[in-house]
This record gives sequence, structure tokens and C-alpha cells, in this order.
Amino acid sequence: MTRPGELLQRFRALYGAGPLHLIALLVSFAIAAAAVVGWFDRPRDVVSVLIWFAAAAVLHDVVLLPFYSLLDRIAFGPRRARIDAERRARAVNPTPYFRIPAILSGLLLLTFFPVIFGFGAQSELLASGIRESGYLARWLLATGVIFALSGLAYARAIRASAAALRRTRPSPGGSPPPP
Amino acid sequence: MRLPGVDPSKPPPGPFRADFWRSPLRGPWLTAVLGLVLLIGLPIVIITGLLSNDAYQPGLSFSNALGRNVNGPLDFYLFGWPTSPTWLYALTQGLHVTIGLALFPVVLAKLWSVIPRLFEWPPVRTPAHALERLSLALLVGGALFEFATGILNIQYWYVFPFFFTQAHYYGAWVFIGAFLVHVTLKFGTMRRSLKTRRELLDVVPEVGVNPSERSLVAVRPAQATMSRRALLGTVGAGALLLGLQGAGQSIGGPFRALALLLPRGRVRPGPLGFPVNKTAIAAGISAADVGANWRVMLVGKRAVSLSREQLLALPQHSYDLPIACVEGWSTTQRWSGVRLGDLASLCGVHGRATLSTRSLDPGTFGRASLGHEQVADDRSLLALRVNGLDLSPDHGYPARVISPAVPGDHCTKWVTMMTFTPVPE
Repeated sequence: MTRPGELLQRFRALYGAGPLHLIALLVSFAIAAAAVVGWFDRPRDVVSVLIWFAAAAVLHDVVLLPFYSLLDRIAFGPRRARIDAERRARAVNPTPYFRIPAILSGLLLLTFFPVIFGFGAQSELLASGIRESGYLARWLLATGVIFALSGLAYARAIRASAAALRRTRPSPGGSPPPP
Repeated sequence: MRLPGVDPSKPPPGPFRADFWRSPLRGPWLTAVLGLVLLIGLPIVIITGLLSNDAYQPGLSFSNALGRNVNGPLDFYLFGWPTSPTWLYALTQGLHVTIGLALFPVVLAKLWSVIPRLFEWPPVRTPAHALERLSLALLVGGALFEFATGILNIQYWYVFPFFFTQAHYYGAWVFIGAFLVHVTLKFGTMRRSLKTRRELLDVVPEVGVNPSERSLVAVRPAQATMSRRALLGTVGAGALLLGLQGAGQSIGGPFRALALLLPRGRVRPGPLGFPVNKTAIAAGISAADVGANWRVMLVGKRAVSLSREQLLALPQHSYDLPIACVEGWSTTQRWSGVRLGDLASLCGVHGRATLSTRSLDPGTFGRASLGHEQVADDRSLLALRVNGLDLSPDHGYPARVISPAVPGDHCTKWVTMMTFTPVPE
């Protein structure tokens, strides 16, 4: 006769985790299965929904993420990092001041490209009566403002670091820094 | 558990090798911080989404359910929808879209932070591991499906070949199931990882950190070009930028211009320029349809047919009420017209009753039903005027329904028939 403890041990060895792990996952799969049943309310939609569901994950993991990583590498990769390392010795590292606004501008493009390129213009005209145009200019303007703000932040950082440098190395014969 | 042809000690070249991943920013702490933000934010999006389903009152009629079956295991709604405060749906749906937009960059950053795990080697260690990875596929697929369809929908790019509401509703359930399990299994990991703030992991790898959590830290990190704090700041700035788009179109008024990259950041000029969800042209409403021959048919214990002049001769009431769209935009205006309760009395229905309206618009949103809470509320009107002017064709001339706190789709325009059905007290 096997004791409950022994049974649990055998289950763990076979399955790789405790029984609660299995129960929790089965509940989640049951909910997913019920959702698929729900999609069958419109049978003609099911295949395209499932394709979009899989494509969403695959396009992100295998296309979008490698693509933006590659862009980042080209713009701010090892060569850039080497130059930065040399510059860091004397001034402020400029990379984040280019990279961060580039990320933000890219995020706006990724999120709002349908509006920016007017892909929904026809349906929007029917819905709201407003002719959709000028969003590309708005995105470019937003990008310009974000980069300008970052440039200001960069200028401030340079001034701050130059001031810090002057404080640590007072000029010979000059007056001592104020307390 | 050994898979045939898989040698755990010999990963194929490329992303399956630990030294492929170079970013020094990845690590359990970063992932845990992003996870914590999502753990707080996503339930707001989920709950407001389910509340929106509730607000549509799918149990009242086939048209409210937008063609969905309402008797499936996931098709429940818990209660009738309240009429106060009037801005209730504007708030819940504004939050749904605004927080959803703001969390999009957080989701992207979270996926970036854990991407090495997609390529872990061996791909499957135990049956438990295999099931957990399958559940993660539902989690990631569900999240991206929901964000993609939602974000495309608010921009009117109906590129998806399926019906949005149904796909988005059940897609949410796939995500909810996987999310609950993920939180259950990973909550402890998140709490432990939040305590490992510094790079102590490299020095004392054994302190409370199991090897699988450690695997996020690059074994051969590249030179850091930006700090973790800067990365989190960037994600926060992105969340703010996107959130402002949603907030602008939801709050409206002077804030509407903040939504500079959303179609609902703009309005037409004039006192009747506030947004509409469907123009008269799109609904196929002709001048003859709404001319002198137009009548609204009230159906209850008896049928009554009224012209616009006869409606205007009935007691008129004015209220400030929002139109709140499922797309997350809203606009509050001063509406005047006849109380729904008065119209119910006219056709002989007293006491509790639901209302189903039909529009001249033959489309999906040309029919809607309101619950007895809405019909009984004094502020629910068959509106004839707005902001002191006659309705314009796009705003539903000759008459439209307006009711506090309901989704905009249920404020039927170009009304042609209203059926009041008594319900037991």
C-alpha cells in the first residue's frame, strides 16, 4: 500500500511540479477552450481569429522585437558604445539623449501608424464626418518636440558636468568656491 | 523528461545560447518591476472591459449582444446597469482605453525583458514545464491580440476580417485565464526579485534566487549604454504619451486636443460640432425619410404614432448628459426632449418596462434595448434638441434616444419605433 506522501513524490517526479500547478493550468486551459467555443458563435470568424491570435505573438517575438533590436544595434551598438566609453571620461554620455527620444517616437509610430498613414480614413469619414489628414505631420512634429526636449536635457547635463568639473578642479590662484 | 534528438548541454547556435543575449539591463528585478506595474494596471483594464460588456446589457436582446450567443459559459453579466452617475460609462470605458494604451509600452518592455526565455534550452524539461509554456503562449498571444485589436479599432482601421466585439471579448477571456495562472505561479518570484535591486545577483547568486530566475541576467553582458532607471523612465514617458491620447479624447473639452494622434482629438466647428459615431450619410438616411412624413411609432398596450410637432408639444425636459463611446471618447452636451417614461405612459405602459428602439438606420447599431432602470430614469429622453438647437441630421434628427450612463451605441438615432415591454416588479 502506498502512503499519500509517496504518491505525491511520485507525481512530482513524473510531472515536474505539485498537483496544484497542474490544476491551475488546467483551469486556465478550460477558460481558453470556453473562449474558443464562444468564437464559434460566428463560425466564419473562427479561423481568422485564431490566425490573428497566433500571428500577434509570432510577429512580435520573431519580427518586431528582432527588428527593433537590430535598429538599436545599428544606431547605438558596440561601435557607438566604444565611442561613448572614450567620451565618458570627459563629458556626458550622449547616447541616451538620442536613444530615448528615438524609442518614444518609434512607440508613437508603432501604436498610431494606422492614423498617421490614414489607413482608417474612409471609415472615420463615415463615422465622424471628419476627413482624416495631417497626422503624419503631427507625428513628425511630436517627434521633433521630443528630440528638442531631449536636446535641452543634454545641454543641461553638459553644463552641470562642466560646473562639477570646475568645482573639483579650481583654477590656481582663483577664489575658493562659495560654501 | 528527455526529448528525442535534444541534448540539453548542446543548444543550437543563435538565440538558444545563453551568451547570445547581451543587454546588461535584463534581470529579474527589471522584469519584476514591469510585472508589478502590469499586475496593478491590467486588472483595471480587465474589469472595465467586463463592465462594458455589462453596460451593453447583452441579456436584454439579441441586438444588444451584437449577435453573440449570451448563454455560453463565459457569457454572463451580473446586474442591470445603473443610471447614476451619468458619467459612469464615460469613466469606465475612458479608463479601459486610456489605461490600456498606457500599458502597451509596459507590455512591450516586459516581453523584451523576458525574451531570452522564449529560446530556453532544452525547450521542454518536464510535463509541468511544457504545460506552463503552453499557458505562456496563451498569455502572450492573448495580450498582444487584445492590444492589437483594441488599438486598431480605436483608429477605425478595420483590417481584421472578424467581428471586433466578439473577438475582443472572448480573446480577453483567453488572456484572463492565462493571466490568473501566471500571477499565481509567479507572484512569489516577483516579490523575491523586487528585493534583488542591485547587481548582487552576480556576486551572491544563491541568495533566494533560483537558477531559472537568474537566467535573465546576461552571462556576457555588453557595455551598458543606459541605466535601468533610464529604461524605466522611457517606458514611463511612453505610457504617459499614449495615456494622454486616451485621456484627451475621454475628458474632452479643452483636453481633447491632447489626443493629437487619435481621430477623436478633433471635432467639427459650431454648437453641433461635437463628435458623432455614425453620420447620416453612412446610415443611409435620406431627406425624405426624415421629412414631414416622419413619425415615431410607440408600441405598448396600444400603438401611438407621433409627429415631431406632436412630440415638441409634450412636456420638454433638459439635462446635461454624456455620449460615451466604446472606443473611449466621450462628449457631454445639453439635451432636450420628452421623457421615456412619459412616452411609455402614452402607449399605456405604467410601471417597470424595458424599451427596444429601432432606427431608420438598417445597420448593426440601428436597434438597441434599454433596461427598466434606464426607462424609469427622469433623465432618459427622446431628444429633439441639443444645446438649444434642433438636432442636426448627423445627431439623429428628427429624434434620438439619450440616457444617462449607457454606451453611446444604445442612444439610438433617427428613431422610428419604440417598443415598451412591461417587466414584473
